[in-house]
Amino acid sequence: MKKLTFTAFVAFCTFIATVLALSVLVPERVVADHDKLPAISADELAEHDHEASCWMAIEGKVYDLTDYLPLHPTPLSIMLPWCGREATEGMRTKGYGRDHSPAAWAMLDDYLVGTYADE
Amino acid sequence: MSRRLAHALPWIVAAIPVMVALLLASAAEFASAGAILNLLGRLTGIAALSLLLVSAALACRVPGFDLPFGGLTKLWATHHRLGAAALFMVLAHPVLLSLSAATASLDAAALTLVPAGADWAMWSGWIALLAMVVFLAPSFAFFGEPEYQRWRWLHRLSALAVLGALVHTFLLARSLPSALSVGIWGVLAAAALAAVAWRFVFSRRAGRLRYTVAEVARPANNIVELSLRPFEHSLKFSAGQFVYLAPYDRQLAAGYAEEHPYTLSSAPGERALRIAIKDLGDASRAIQSIAPGSEVRIEGPYGDFFPRHDSAEPELWIAGGIGITPFLGRLRHLAATQQSLDARLVYCVQDQARAHFSEELEALAAQVPGFDLTQHFFFREGPLSAEFLATHCPDFVSRRAYICGPDPLLERARSILLRAGVARDQIVTEEFTLL
Repeated sequence: MKKLTFTAFVAFCTFIATVLALSVLVPERVVADHDKLPAISADELAEHDHEASCWMAIEGKVYDLTDYLPLHPTPLSIMLPWCGREATEGMRTKGYGRDHSPAAWAMLDDYLVGTYADE
Repeated sequence: MSRRLAHALPWIVAAIPVMVALLLASAAEFASAGAILNLLGRLTGIAALSLLLVSAALACRVPGFDLPFGGLTKLWATHHRLGAAALFMVLAHPVLLSLSAATASLDAAALTLVPAGADWAMWSGWIALLAMVVFLAPSFAFFGEPEYQRWRWLHRLSALAVLGALVHTFLLARSLPSALSVGIWGVLAAAALAAVAWRFVFSRRAGRLRYTVAEVARPANNIVELSLRPFEHSLKFSAGQFVYLAPYDRQLAAGYAEEHPYTLSSAPGERALRIAIKDLGDASRAIQSIAPGSEVRIEGPYGDFFPRHDSAEPELWIAGGIGITPFLGRLRHLAATQQSLDARLVYCVQDQARAHFSEELEALAAQVPGFDLTQHFFFREGPLSAEFLATHCPDFVSRRAYICGPDPLLERARSILLRAGVARDQIVTEEFTLL
């Protein structure tokens, strides 16, 4: 038991050190060239306000989250009201003041479709 | 309740929150590798908190609570294993969540581990994890065998670990609906809190009996046998049980008001409570010079070494050094109540000079019909062997064995008996380990 717990502790420290080192050493992957993304207006965004096509504007970018809706941990009814509109507040507060995790923010990149042209 | 069930029950209770969370998981939580890792990450977090709370609740040390487990040392073996399992789970928890985030990006994996600014939900989790590593490190001898009092002091950091883990869970948890979450963690936390309240508040006021040191006998130059007289109420116990004793003699070089476990050597019916103490550490060395007339406080009794009900089963007793004390207590009781017992005592010591209480043992052996004493000297016979047992107790295989002494002797005696074909449940041991 003594050896096993100590081995687990050393393995844990090694894992943490490795992840932190890699995150510093590995250059960040360029996901998309933001300049070439289409600018999406508030009106265009508003058309995608339902389950079959759900777009959201978050911090100046627009994401097509249609495919993600069934994968989100909360029931659909929590996400749907944010479709077709500016949803930064929902992303930052989850409705009770707590930000989404770094992993959730990183996952957004996969769904990027344009920049948000509000004016 | 059978012993096996008693030891299984804490594990079953600890598994309940994990099972509930698993049952409530949606299909989406199994949709991808990242989602499954995330679910496992949350489940290990739930398991860690639940194991930690059940383990804390088991540490309550209420006299009698240890009996279904086969004594306090056996109960704490399960407490120890639950603690180890909690540590494994708490270490796996951030690793799995970070791996889950790695399916999105490496930066997300790193950011999952590093709390941003005043993110108390995350910091409390890290505080709990680090407190657990610090308070469990001496228990698992990360940096060598710990010193008893430092180990006990560090173990109090477990309160910080529990608090941190509860804050972390309440701020972040999403695996259980909030009403269920409050219910489950509320019950387990209340059990743990009740255990701590008993140990540090109630037992200190009402659970400890006050005694005066009436006499200090010296059977050897490094052993004292204290005879204690009660202030008011006297302890009710069975032969072979042990107590926690805290001395209140200001003149002591060490260990004032510190509690340490010692086996009772007196018979249950005696007027005085007798405790034989060998100098094995700072406190037990200091107590060798305790002044008659000073006060000690006693908490107990604990342990379940000898059967609580009389049986005609023949017995084999193997004692090593100061491990003679529970047998001495039993033998004194048998002699005082004029009972007979078919028992063979093999008393293992280095040499004649270290055979403490041997004159009294021989006198008692003559008084108890059916009882027989054999001394085994390491200097002459070497380590205890099956041949030695067979020579002095030819039917040792068919006897129920009771072993008390230092770990090496205990392990050796156990392996000799098992190899000779004695069933595991016919061997009862009492370890002197960190309590």
